[in-house]
Amino acid sequence: MTAAARPATRSPRGRSRSRGWLTALLFLAPFLAVYLVLLVYPLFLGIWISFRDWDLMAGDYGPVGLLNYQDLWTDPVFWRSTRNTLYFALLTVPSMTIIAMLLALAVQGPGRIRAICRSVFFLSSVFSVTVVTLVWQMVLAPDRGLIAPIVQFLGFTPVNYLGSTTWAMPAIVVTTLWWGVGLPMALFLAALGSIPKELYEAAELDHASRWSVFWRITLPSIRHTVILVIVLQIVAQFQIFGQPFLMTQGGPANSTRSLVQYIYETSFRDWLVGYGAAMAMVLFGMMLVFSMLQLWLGRQGDDR
Amino acid sequence: MHHSKALAALALTTALTAGGAAGAAEIQLMRFFGDCQNEYGNVNDASQANGECGIITALVNQFNATNEGGHTVVVQTADWGAYYDLLTATYQTGNIPDVAVMHASVLPDFVARDLVTPLGSLFQEAGIDTADFVPAALQNASANGEVYALPFDLHALLFHINMDLMQQAGFVNEDGTVRLPTSPEEFIQMGKEFEEKTGQNYFATESQANEGMMVRFFNSLMWQQGVDVISPDGTTASINSPEGLKAATFIKQIYDEGLADPNLDALGADQAFLSGQAGIELIGTWMVDNFNAQAAGGQVALKNYAVANVPNLFGQDAVWADSHMWVVPKDEGRSPEEQEAAVAFLKFLNDNNFQWSRTGHLSVRQSVIDSPEFAALPHRSSYANTAQIARSLPQTQNQRAIYNAMISDITATWLAGAEPQAALDSAQSQVERILRRSNRGG
Repeated sequence: MTAAARPATRSPRGRSRSRGWLTALLFLAPFLAVYLVLLVYPLFLGIWISFRDWDLMAGDYGPVGLLNYQDLWTDPVFWRSTRNTLYFALLTVPSMTIIAMLLALAVQGPGRIRAICRSVFFLSSVFSVTVVTLVWQMVLAPDRGLIAPIVQFLGFTPVNYLGSTTWAMPAIVVTTLWWGVGLPMALFLAALGSIPKELYEAAELDHASRWSVFWRITLPSIRHTVILVIVLQIVAQFQIFGQPFLMTQGGPANSTRSLVQYIYETSFRDWLVGYGAAMAMVLFGMMLVFSMLQLWLGRQGDDR
Repeated sequence: MHHSKALAALALTTALTAGGAAGAAEIQLMRFFGDCQNEYGNVNDASQANGECGIITALVNQFNATNEGGHTVVVQTADWGAYYDLLTATYQTGNIPDVAVMHASVLPDFVARDLVTPLGSLFQEAGIDTADFVPAALQNASANGEVYALPFDLHALLFHINMDLMQQAGFVNEDGTVRLPTSPEEFIQMGKEFEEKTGQNYFATESQANEGMMVRFFNSLMWQQGVDVISPDGTTASINSPEGLKAATFIKQIYDEGLADPNLDALGADQAFLSGQAGIELIGTWMVDNFNAQAAGGQVALKNYAVANVPNLFGQDAVWADSHMWVVPKDEGRSPEEQEAAVAFLKFLNDNNFQWSRTGHLSVRQSVIDSPEFAALPHRSSYANTAQIARSLPQTQNQRAIYNAMISDITATWLAGAEPQAALDSAQSQVERILRRSNRGG
């Protein structure tokens, strides 16, 4: 009796549990489908292709083992592109984060002028990379650009920024900062807005200086946003492509060729998709490591 | 109800028969050479047009207006830098053009993968005489004994010269011809003398690693020393050979001695030459018509324009050249009418090869080269034998990758102070990898 009753009591619970699963799956399905088809499948396909001699126009020539990765090891342009990408990220990510935060601090709060400034600073993010690079190429032009007269006024000869191995990368960094500062600024604005007012009121009662208010209240309160911005910036800036591709084509003398540009050229100009996929895997690994490092560093503080 | 159905049927039959009877087709043409619809959109006579863009635009208009089959060519223009990537993409999207322009140096990639239509028998049917093509052009357009393209021109590097500055420097012979150097040492020494006397640069060319004019010069100097940059079988490179070092050291010296401005991009080099700031510009045949017109127009400082072959500096006459050609990309979905229209258009282009040679390019048709009208074109006698000394890389795949690898490393010798030997070693290792991969060694 009892033995027979047991399944009877268990089965409705089992059915409801499986029905719960089904419902959950149903709600998840749209996301899962997109995620699997557009992210997981291409990722594994990419890993698989990176071990093959895969031609863009002729298809698969078969497996080549680790050859694509071996070639990377001895390819000076790959190393140069990696170095350029790291250098670019190193210049861009910290300055972008700091500038975005300063801008957010400056334009947060009530007032019409601040509201206008908020839209103005965000506006440049709306443009496409083509427009942005075109504008900055005009600004930077040594003979008829916007900067040239200023430099001349100060008594220096204008530099051909995009044609110089020293200045081309910083010029691209400035372009990127101008273009991309809007989104992190908006994130900081949202974070600043959610800090409880009582904290500031208490600080005011204690006659805390503006500096210590920022250091002890504002910054700790938006810590998680700072980490979010840095991680987003790392992921975005490691994939730098459009700006150097359009402004310098990777030159002069490879000094601004980025990893994504080299991946693009290898895969779509030279049709060596297998080799390009191997590079893409290295880039993926790099972004993963740096993002994880950042997240880990961010979590260290929470344990305290 | 019945009425409208009958009407529709009638309309359909008319449409079908009208299309079928004429055999007219609309075909897609994909090309670079720029967009000049504003200036030449209404010009139906190619002889009234100037420059690469103007002449090809007018040729298409002329074909559309006059061809007997009633065919229409619709043009899709792509920026030169993105052209091949876009053409490649059409094979994936299915929107494959019926006719496309292609460099001889790129054709091996497409032939090896069976991406272009063999044209030999189609040419024969259409009456395009391949025997009239100069041997170098026919060889460029062929592979494995089959013709895959209609050669349209041969374009080589030339020295474009400002004769007034040369006069000032004392480099003009008694017969009015220009005196050019005969060795690298003389080049440097004449360059210094020129700059002392005129205060201008002796030499100007695109130096910013975008188009690699100096790599074409480097290749020319290699051939002048009897060395092929790429071996005929396409398996090895000799970029870092002693001859390569000689050529690269000489090129770096041109900049080190201040004979050329390393900051010039393509536009800047043309501008410097036109405004009388350089004695010689190194650029291709395609600028002859343009410079000639500008010098005659009187709006620029350049008044007395001349042109010459790249001089023999290392022992043998040789100069880099490539070839523009027209191909019919393979497309399973192309109708016989469209194919017929494409071949008719190629025939028309071939018949009007002379118009194209007015740009400054060398004609690929012996009958055009021998014609009095070709000889009467300005400056042609100064580079009449260019076709004979023109050289190009063997028909290996991935020449664009090879070219770009060489650009990055060789320009680094003057842009980033790289040592010639180190730059050549780096280029050599990359080109070897590219060749190994092209030969499917992985």
